[in-house]
Amino acid sequence: MNPARLIEYWPQLWEGLLVTLQISAATLILATPVALLIAILREARVPVVNALLIVAVNAVRLLPAVIVLFFVFYGGPQLGLSLSPMAAAIIGLSVMGAAYMSEDIRAGLSAVDRGQYQAARALGLSPARIFCRIIIPQAIPLIVPPYMTRAIIMVKGSSLASMVAVGELTAAASRASSITYDPFTFILFAGALYLIISGALVLFQAWAERHLRRRYRLTPGGR
Amino acid sequence: MELDFSGVPTVWPALLRGALVTLQLTVAVLLIATPIGCVLALLRNARSAPVRGILMTLSWIFRGIPPLLILFFAFFALPLIGLKLNPLPSAIVAMSSYMAFYFAEAFTAGLNSVPAGQWQAARALGLSPTRTLIRVILPQTIPAALPPYISHATEILKGTALAAAVAVPELASAAKRVFVVTYRPLEILIVAAAIYAVLDAILLILQMAGERWAARRRRGGRT
Repeated sequence: MNPARLIEYWPQLWEGLLVTLQISAATLILATPVALLIAILREARVPVVNALLIVAVNAVRLLPAVIVLFFVFYGGPQLGLSLSPMAAAIIGLSVMGAAYMSEDIRAGLSAVDRGQYQAARALGLSPARIFCRIIIPQAIPLIVPPYMTRAIIMVKGSSLASMVAVGELTAAASRASSITYDPFTFILFAGALYLIISGALVLFQAWAERHLRRRYRLTPGGR
Repeated sequence: MELDFSGVPTVWPALLRGALVTLQLTVAVLLIATPIGCVLALLRNARSAPVRGILMTLSWIFRGIPPLLILFFAFFALPLIGLKLNPLPSAIVAMSSYMAFYFAEAFTAGLNSVPAGQWQAARALGLSPTRTLIRVILPQTIPAALPPYISHATEILKGTALAAAVAVPELASAAKRVFVVTYRPLEILIVAAAIYAVLDAILLILQMAGERWAARRRRGGRT
């Protein structure tokens, strides 16, 4: 282990860290609205749409993320869709993330009592208003913990981008290790950076949960 | 664009060999990580505070950094500490190390679901700690821990595709090796995805059988 080498390879590692943060942020920003839409459509139970979504979501969840990334990056050109490694990685990881996340969100939405829909409808609220004003506020405190767990999994998943030639943090650390034969310095350092990122997300989660509890006046430790 | 599967029979043996390696990797990790996970879970309930602290920290580290980084670490670091392993055993060591901690979490939750009073009651009846564990605690722990255990186990299969990055000739890397020659990535990836789906389906059937068994045990239908 030789921390002095970190300085020598710092530019690559820093670049890798930035790419990792970019991929993580991009996949979260892309996957969240898609996952929310899928979850709402599935909760609405429109016959054909529902069946199609069940098949699509479970097909993606069945496959290894590496295969999904290969589909986008290597299979894309065959469909006339040539993407840069970075774009392919972000699309592939967003698809994966959205599929898993839609299930997390759906679980939260379906935990809200069915009677609430009926009561809101009886009061003459439109479906859109029911969702935005009645269901979502009650579901959000239930969705935040699994959502943040999923976000941390997606940050870790950004390392898979290295499988389609994106020079993110894992790729940078492994390249430096293979040149210097010093995995102890580089891989442990990269691991520490990942732990810091997920640690920051855990702190954010604690803050968000506290905030939501106050906002929705929930009793501590349950509702 | 039209899909052309006429080349698939020629490359089928290569894909099948990859699938076999995937299966080997999955089974090996399952067999190694499960008992280690059990021991880790039992140690988590140890009386010594340092042991508990060290295990919690290790669990946080192994579950907090990307699996791919752990695979790279094993690939580069094991030879340096005198363990010259082939890619496959090296990947088995890496995957078992982090899966053991995921399993330990599932088992710990199961152990904690048994009320502490049962230990005291068993001691009052004169049972030795080993007998208490085997005859009283574990029969109640296993049904509670089984569903999360199996869901982690299915993650192993999908996780094996990461081993492609450290030169293990499993299914994802076999597929890649084939399609860089045939220039028909979509067809090959569809076949590979279908093989993963079949392997997944086998695990899914086991999962459903296991969950039904666990649900029956939890209700106390069978004693």
